[in-house]
Amino acid sequence: MMTILIEALIYLASGAFYWWWTQNLTFFGLAPDIIFAAALCAAILAGPVKAVAWGFFLGLYADVLGANIFGGYALTYTLMAYGVHVMKRHFDMDGAFSQLVAALSFSWLCMFFYQALNVVFSGTSPLGLKILLAEPLLNALAVPVVFQVFYRLKRRFRVL
Amino acid sequence: MSREKDAANYAVLFFASVSVLLLIFPASRIAHTARIAASYSLYPSMHYGARYGHFVRNVPANFVALLETDQENRALKDKVRELELRLQNASADDSENERLTGEMGLSRKLPWTGVWARAVGKTPADWYGSFYADKGSEDGVSPNDTALAMQDGRAGLVGRVFEVYPKFSKVLLLTNGSASTVCSLGPGGPDALIEGRGTRLLRMNYVPEEAAPAEGAELVTSPSGILFPRGILVGRVKKIYPRESFMNFITADVVPAVDAGAVKEIFLVKRNIPSEFSPAAQADK
Repeated sequence: MMTILIEALIYLASGAFYWWWTQNLTFFGLAPDIIFAAALCAAILAGPVKAVAWGFFLGLYADVLGANIFGGYALTYTLMAYGVHVMKRHFDMDGAFSQLVAALSFSWLCMFFYQALNVVFSGTSPLGLKILLAEPLLNALAVPVVFQVFYRLKRRFRVL
Repeated sequence: MSREKDAANYAVLFFASVSVLLLIFPASRIAHTARIAASYSLYPSMHYGARYGHFVRNVPANFVALLETDQENRALKDKVRELELRLQNASADDSENERLTGEMGLSRKLPWTGVWARAVGKTPADWYGSFYADKGSEDGVSPNDTALAMQDGRAGLVGRVFEVYPKFSKVLLLTNGSASTVCSLGPGGPDALIEGRGTRLLRMNYVPEEAAPAEGAELVTSPSGILFPRGILVGRVKKIYPRESFMNFITADVVPAVDAGAVKEIFLVKRNIPSEFSPAAQADK
C-alpha cells in the first residue's frame, strides 16, 4: 500500500516538475520532455507489467497537457515501455551511454509514431522541426539524470 | 521467465487497447469528463494562486500591504489595457457599421467586455497549439470566448477558449493545426480562410487571384464569421504563393498579429454565441 502511495507521489512529482520546468526554464521554447524521460527510466528500472503501466499513465498525463488527440501519448509510451522490456534482454541499459542512445532513438521513434497517430486520427501535424531536431538531444541529456533519481528512489523506498 | 513474458504481453495488450479506445472515442462524454477531472486534479498549482492569503497570514502587515499594492497595481494596469481596447473599439467606422447594421435590422451584438487573464500553462510540445489561462467559469469565462492580446499597442487575435474549469480555462491558439477563421483582406475586401498549421506562421487559403493582397497587408476578422468579433487584427501577409495551374485561388503565409510564444496576458472577450452555432455543434452536424 505504502509503495503504491510513494509511486503515485513520484508520478505526480514527475508531472509537476515537468510543468515547472516548462514554465520557468525553457530555452528558445525548448525543454527536455521529463514525462518521456520518466517513462523511459521507469521502463528500464521496473518489471515489465509495472513498466508498461508507468508508460501508460505518464502518457495519459502528457495527453492531458496537450490539445491534440487524447490517448496518443498513452499508446506511444505503453509501446515504448514494452520495447524497452524487450531490449533489456539483449542490452545492458544501466549505463549512462546506453541510456543516452536509447533516449535518442526512442525520442525520435516516439515522435514519428505520435505524428503518425495524429495524421491518422485527426489529420493534424503537431511535430515542429525545432522540436524534432532539438528535443531528442535534450531528452538524451535528461534521461541519465532522471534514471539516477529513480534508481535512488527505487533503492530507498523499494518502489518501481 | 516465461510467466513474466506472458504478463508483459497481457499488460501491453490491455494498456494499448485502452489507449486505442481513447483515441477512437475522443469526443465521447466519458472520455471528456475523465479528461476534465484529470486535468483539474493534476494542476494543483493553478489553484494556489487564488488562495495566496492563506500563505501570508503570519506575515507582517507592512509586507502584506506591499503585496496588496502590487495586486492593486496589476489591477490598474489591466484596467488601462481594457480602456485602450475600448478606445480602439470606438473607432469611427465601427460606430458607422454599428449604425448601418442597426438600420438593416441585423441585431448582431459584438460585446468587447471581458476579463484579463494570464497565460500560465505553456508546454513546448504544444507551443503553437494551446495554453491555459488563469481565469475560469468563476470569472465569467465560457467556451468560445475570444482570446486577444496586445502587441505593439494593438489588439490581435490569439484564439478562443475551448475548455473551461472553475478557476482556469484552456485556450486553443489560432496557430493550432485544427484552428481556422474567416478574415477580410482589408475593410470591404473579399474574405479568405486563415488556418493554423501548428507552426509560427498561418496559412491563408481561398484568396481570389484578382484580389491578391500585397505583402505586409493587414488581415482582420470578417463580419461574416460568427466565432470572433469583426475587425480584430489577425495578422499580416508575409509571402504570397503563385496560383497553381489546377487551382482557381492563391494561398499565402501570414505572420500572426500576436506571437503566441510571447503572450503573457490575454483579454478574454465575452461572447454570446448561440449554442447551435458553436464549433462543437457544427462538428456534430
